[in-house]
Amino acid sequence: MFYAIVLSVVPGETFSTLLPLLLPIMGTIGGIGAMLVFTNDRTKGVFEYLIAYGVPPRQIFLNVLGAAMALLTVVNGATLAVAVGLRLGVGYGIPLVFVERILVYSLPMSYGAAALCTSAGMYWTSLSSPRQGMNSPLGLLPLIGVAPGVLTLLAAEVAGPTLGTYVALGAVVLVVLLALILLALESRLMPRERLLSPA
Amino acid sequence: MRSGALSSGPSSSSSTDGFRIACRGVSSGYLGSKVLEDISFTIDEPAIYVVLGPNGAGKTTLFRTLAGILRPSRGEVLIGGVEVDRQVSRDHLHYVSHMDGIPDGLRVREALEFYARVERAETLDVDRVLKMLEIEELADRYFSQLSAGQRKRVSIARVFLREREIYLLDEPTANLDPKLAREIREVILRLSQQKIVLYSSHNLFEAREIGRYVIAIRAGKLALFDRIENLRGSHFVVGIRVLNPEVPAALANFTRQGDYFLRELPGPDAVPALLHELDAQGVRVRELREMNNPLEELFT
Repeated sequence: MFYAIVLSVVPGETFSTLLPLLLPIMGTIGGIGAMLVFTNDRTKGVFEYLIAYGVPPRQIFLNVLGAAMALLTVVNGATLAVAVGLRLGVGYGIPLVFVERILVYSLPMSYGAAALCTSAGMYWTSLSSPRQGMNSPLGLLPLIGVAPGVLTLLAAEVAGPTLGTYVALGAVVLVVLLALILLALESRLMPRERLLSPA
Repeated sequence: MRSGALSSGPSSSSSTDGFRIACRGVSSGYLGSKVLEDISFTIDEPAIYVVLGPNGAGKTTLFRTLAGILRPSRGEVLIGGVEVDRQVSRDHLHYVSHMDGIPDGLRVREALEFYARVERAETLDVDRVLKMLEIEELADRYFSQLSAGQRKRVSIARVFLREREIYLLDEPTANLDPKLAREIREVILRLSQQKIVLYSSHNLFEAREIGRYVIAIRAGKLALFDRIENLRGSHFVVGIRVLNPEVPAALANFTRQGDYFLRELPGPDAVPALLHELDAQGVRVRELREMNNPLEELFT
């Protein structure tokens, strides 16, 4: 949010170039909250009760994913509202290229990276015995989540303005594809046993 | 003592009619690793069935399989003749795991309301249960702020939100102080007059006190399923406390353990003769009790 505010009042192209690239990183970090709840609920045996009462394990998985998406929407929505409002407030316009970048890159990359990070996080957390700190899945998860955004940011910078657009679009397609593959493998990677607390 | 494919006894007329638990050749475990192997039994009488076994024997896995949380890799679990995986079967079961299963971020009332929604119970039931388990003063406190005993009480409160026919209680009195554990046992005992209750515990005296049947699991297999009253230890040792311990001659055949004088007898039938013998020798018996618990042998 802080970066969005700073970028909003900077004149020139920086706003339209950098904010769309930063947005997925902010959103993904915001979506980590769902993973925290997932890990805590699994350890405390909440899912065990839900399955016993007839809630399908797949629904639990999809609900956590949905919660991450909802959190991401709140973070991205608030960031965009503040940034665009400020930008208009200080008298700078919103160029069409900014809107295009948000629609074509930022939103798909945000949701793709968050879905990738949350799915991978659920699989990984349920494979691991509880550990604390940076060495735990939860400690490393934000790094996985922001990696696509950060790497795209760096690659686009190196590639230059024209090629950079293709790099960003390629990254979006790759991340969304990976997220869909992980989602499709849910029943194989996340059998009900993985949702149970250690016996 | 019996083991293998067994029935708990004759069917009796009760509110659990038609809600028999049938476990047929069940093998179950986690991600391909087998924990339970070829478990078979049938339960159709309202009573407390104490599930015993050493750590790692498979008690929790058995509860999870009966509750439909784990799917058997072989065999089947039927509740009232319907596979436990079906919702119609699940609706007859209550399950309390050894974990509290309540998210830290919720207050006690919110947690119970959450489970009331999951169980399609009413908000009124939450108030009733809070009162029943005397946890009204905890209603607005966050679950994470409660002591282990208070958490357990809230966790158990869930099973009273809606009446079911079968209750699967995995270590329900663990971490409770003796007074609360006794209160919970009394509630469960009342429940068992009309309902089937499977109850796991490491407390053998508690198991003997409340259980009518014992289901012993050893290394993932059904080692025993029988009425507790039918259990006979390989040794029957009684201890007596006397009002006049200064009569050493009469107690020469006894060994001393604290205040008790111990003697091994062939069985409970020999107790009246022993009392008669002691009385004839002028020993005034204050207390006589069985010193060893036959359930202990299930752990060896």
